[in-house]
Amino acid sequence: MSESLPAAERLLNLVIALVNTTGKMTKEQIRTSVAGYDRAPSTEAFERMFERDKETLRELGVPVVTVTGAAHADEQGYRVDPDAYELPPMQLSAAQLGILALAAEFWSDQVLQVDASRALTKLRVVGARPPEGEQLLGLAPRVHPAGPALGPLLDAAAARQAVRFTYRAASTGEVRDRTVEPWRLLASRGGWYLVGLDRGRGAPRVFRLSRIVGSVTSVGDKNAFAVPPDADARALLDSAQEAEARTAWLGVAPERAGALRARARPSTESPPTAPEGWDVLAVPYTRASDLADEIAAYTDAVVVLDPPELRESVVRRLREAVAMARRLGVTTDG
Amino acid sequence: MAERTPERLVRLLGLVAYLDRHPGAPVEQVAEQFGVSPVQVLKDVDTLWMSGTPGYFPDDLIDFDADSLDSGVLRLTQSRGMARALRLGTREAVALVAALRALDASVGEALEPAERRLLASTLEALTAATGEAAATVDVRLSLEADPEVLATVRAALRDGRRLHLRYVDAADRTTEREVDPWQVVTGDERSYLSAWCHTSGGERLFRLDRILAAGVQDEAVTTTPAPVATTYRPASQHPRVRLSLEGRARWAAEQLPTERVVDDPDGFTMDLRVATSAWLRALVLRLAPFVRDVQPDEVARDAGRAAARALAVYRSLGLVRDDA
Repeated sequence: MSESLPAAERLLNLVIALVNTTGKMTKEQIRTSVAGYDRAPSTEAFERMFERDKETLRELGVPVVTVTGAAHADEQGYRVDPDAYELPPMQLSAAQLGILALAAEFWSDQVLQVDASRALTKLRVVGARPPEGEQLLGLAPRVHPAGPALGPLLDAAAARQAVRFTYRAASTGEVRDRTVEPWRLLASRGGWYLVGLDRGRGAPRVFRLSRIVGSVTSVGDKNAFAVPPDADARALLDSAQEAEARTAWLGVAPERAGALRARARPSTESPPTAPEGWDVLAVPYTRASDLADEIAAYTDAVVVLDPPELRESVVRRLREAVAMARRLGVTTDG
Repeated sequence: MAERTPERLVRLLGLVAYLDRHPGAPVEQVAEQFGVSPVQVLKDVDTLWMSGTPGYFPDDLIDFDADSLDSGVLRLTQSRGMARALRLGTREAVALVAALRALDASVGEALEPAERRLLASTLEALTAATGEAAATVDVRLSLEADPEVLATVRAALRDGRRLHLRYVDAADRTTEREVDPWQVVTGDERSYLSAWCHTSGGERLFRLDRILAAGVQDEAVTTTPAPVATTYRPASQHPRVRLSLEGRARWAAEQLPTERVVDDPDGFTMDLRVATSAWLRALVLRLAPFVRDVQPDEVARDAGRAAARALAVYRSLGLVRDDA
């Protein structure tokens, strides 16, 4: 056995040993008899290696259970529970495996992408051959990355463990620490959201992941809370988003801003007046800053007639662009 | 890049369980099943062959029939109790089930009945195997397209026919195009049609909500998709722009297809290839407060002038006061 047995092979031998053991294996037995552990240079090095490996196996779904000796409490040992190890009986057709391969492509987020592709490897075992691709003809679903907060939040939500993070409020820009019981993670309209109980406020709240500043840490015990059976995370998110839903009245130069025209809705209200010869559109929106970016990019082809806040955002962007040109010493005359 | 340990371990365990169910499977079949090369399968077999229970005498090890292996066939003769398929971890189950649910909820309507049944049966099989763990994630995809346009695009995809599109692009030009549809890329924010555009002679991504009208043509599709094109990548023949930005605009370096990013104590400088000046103008308008420098400086001049013209329109309407 070589000095540096690759980690995957050491872990493989550990799983086989713990599946086959009668009763349990103590750490000492593992260290002296399982391939890859016998060369650990010190007890501390072995302990570190074993603890990490045990954690890795549990994350992969291998049920490593701790067994305490009947006679001596310090005779603690480990084994793998074979019943909990096994995937419930299932057979996947080649076409179903194809759908799952498509689903595994779904996440562009590093965390979930790795998880999904590993899940697919496990399911290939019970899948008919050959796996068929292109099951949903021409459809390629993709969800955009959620950022570093997603992984810890998913783990905490699954473990029913509270989390603490620093959050920048959308309305005020105020930055504060929040302690939250994470109920559910939702992706919708280009954003990732956490819905959970804000302990500081004693009420459910919706948090946008991109407004979390810094890292997410878990606090307290696992299984520390239950999600209320009547909690409807989707409805909470919808109402949070609807609270932001508005209509913008835009004046649009003839033949211009086709993309905005395509999103315009008929409106029963009477439109404000626009420049001579321009069209007036009612365009629904939820995220004012995104729409302001889009409108500012059309510069003199689109003007915001209403609401004034949106117009101010656009005008501020335009003034910043003029200021930038001045700052860089390029003329904007003519 | 070397494969990560967890991925390799899961496949090694999976191979034993698979071969227990499929005795005498050819190496190529196993490789295809697991989506790896036949060489990798043989490497995995070498590893398995040396693994087993403590003692590691021949009887302790996972074993294969050597004669079969010589003829390119894998026959397991000793699985050392590892014939069970490994269940899914919590996050693994979440990742797949949430993806399937999102597909069903948002594109289900656009699917053929047989496709939808297949999706439902896959979801059912997986939910039965994983329980309610997946309830922690909920994704809603956005297929914000004219239903008629979407149905037409799907029909053309199904029948392998060319499409006629009326499309309004980011530069606000409305064009008529003939395209070979390849794939509908559905996102949580926007959806795209990836296609070969005969009119412009290149591969294009069309935002579905900007397709104003679509019609299936008689001509069959004559091009095949390149490997998945889901992000816009400007080509090297496009002009290069250098933007120097304050650190607060870091997101730009992370979200844009940059050629090169150089950090400094106060910010960073990034190089981009830019295909259309309208796109570049929109970008510079967004980044204006954070811009330290732009090369060529014509870019800053163009953005500044366009913004000044727009402010003049607001002033002429009495919608802003002339106090800036």
